[in-house]
Amino acid sequence: MLELKGLSKHFGGVRAVDGLDLRVTQGEVFGLIGPNGSGKSTVVNLVCGLFPVTAGQVLLRNEDITSLASHVRVACGVTRTFQNIRLFGQLSVWQNLWVAQNAVEHRSEGFLRRWLGGPGRAREEIDRILEFSDLSGKRDELAGNLAFGEQRRLELARAVVAKPALLLLDEPAAGMNAEEIDQLDARIRKLKQDGLTVLLIEHHMELVMAVTDRIAVLNFGQKIAEGTPDEVQTNRLVQEAYLGVAEAA
Amino acid sequence: MDFYLGLAQIVGVHTLLGLSAYCVLLTGQVSLAQAGFFAIGAYVAAMLTVLAGWHILPAIAAASFVAGVVACAVGFPALRVKGLMLVVATLAFGEAVRLFFFNFDYQVARGEVKIGPAGGEGFRQIRFFPEHGWSTLDVLLFIWLFVALVMAALWWMDRSRAGAVLRAVGEDEVAAQSAGINVTAVKVAAMTVGGLIAGLGGGIFAHYTAHIEHAQFGVALATFAIAYPILGGLSSVFGTLIAVIFVQGFLIEGLRFLGDWRNLLFGGLILLAMNVRPRGLIDAATIAGIKRLRIRNREPGNARTQGAE
Repeated sequence: MLELKGLSKHFGGVRAVDGLDLRVTQGEVFGLIGPNGSGKSTVVNLVCGLFPVTAGQVLLRNEDITSLASHVRVACGVTRTFQNIRLFGQLSVWQNLWVAQNAVEHRSEGFLRRWLGGPGRAREEIDRILEFSDLSGKRDELAGNLAFGEQRRLELARAVVAKPALLLLDEPAAGMNAEEIDQLDARIRKLKQDGLTVLLIEHHMELVMAVTDRIAVLNFGQKIAEGTPDEVQTNRLVQEAYLGVAEAA
Repeated sequence: MDFYLGLAQIVGVHTLLGLSAYCVLLTGQVSLAQAGFFAIGAYVAAMLTVLAGWHILPAIAAASFVAGVVACAVGFPALRVKGLMLVVATLAFGEAVRLFFFNFDYQVARGEVKIGPAGGEGFRQIRFFPEHGWSTLDVLLFIWLFVALVMAALWWMDRSRAGAVLRAVGEDEVAAQSAGINVTAVKVAAMTVGGLIAGLGGGIFAHYTAHIEHAQFGVALATFAIAYPILGGLSSVFGTLIAVIFVQGFLIEGLRFLGDWRNLLFGGLILLAMNVRPRGLIDAATIAGIKRLRIRNREPGNARTQGAE
């Protein structure tokens, strides 16, 4: 589904991502973990096209999307959530989803119908997503007035409503309580069941270990390990990256 | 009476100008170019009726179109810069337009007199309305017909997906991009629609004042254009209308008796309004309140509905 080939991003002298090779197969939940500043979020930004790459390629379904603009990639089926929530606060919950739906839904419709028409068929689809996100009661609320957990759910809903093939989740559990994380776990599993491929960046290890099929570990922009959750947990390099190296006496 | 008719004309034309800035401001762009588009509309429409002998309707349509095309062309380079830099870039464009008309001399002899724009002296004798026997009231209705049309169109747009998309871009461009919105296209489209509306307003303005000159289209006008939607709030097109009535009707005309003190009070009142209502005179909460009121009135057992039955 997603393949990164020698992907690099340098900010001045800082090598945020350095020659990263990664393969995410169709239908899996792939975890990307690593200490703070290891380049995980940069990878997401490169895959969704917010920054140009310094070197390397991003392939989606074997097609090179490295030079495509961000909104075009959404139409190709790549959507994301943000680490620090970025909703349209002055729009209602419903409008947040309606806006995001424009990328895929009703491509066949005429220009005027698409932009100046009413909600029409969009309504059902959005209602379904609202239910999935447990936000049905909040549809007319301004997004900015939602509680934190609800905002996180809405952001996930906004990424899902565009019917992506690949979903990039950048620390979706940050700031959530245990119950909310359980719900998030269930939602990610449901999305996987529906055939989505998920790239999950997360610091909450319980969630990562429970929900992912495979994991890659980044440190200083480079991949230091890759494998199933069990393999990664027992990897010595990973333990050193997280806990520090024991000095040889 | 004539005074109030004249004031209503000014309010109408300034509403069009304010609405043109409203479109652009929805996408988060502060543009000081609206007075420039307004000037282009004014000169194009006036030249078409005076020099080419057109009827006013095709003339203002053409003026609107030309201003829209210019706005689209300005939009592409100008929208590459953001925030304060965009303010400076659009201000520079507005001044360039003004100075162009300051130097624009295209006079044609008609018998004894010369007609047409005469550079710094301005463009005199735009006499379509008197020549065709339109009364002040006719002109007023003509102006407000267009104000109503534009407001209805924008009100419709506001409630459609396009309106939500414009606001989304205005709130957070990165999030909008990630929601699949082509941010550049949306911003240029908003600028173009703003140009169309400003050109229309300018075309009408030229004909009711009968005399236009470069000095009318300076920074002051550009500031007014952007002040209306900021003051009125971006929640509804009616906010802009109310802001124009507030500024033109109350602050400028209503306080004329204060003489020079007016200008001081003018600034102070705008500051006060912005502090009391930071999201504009009509904000989302006001609209929600009006909606609730309407729903309550529809409920059975309500005093008003009972009285009506």
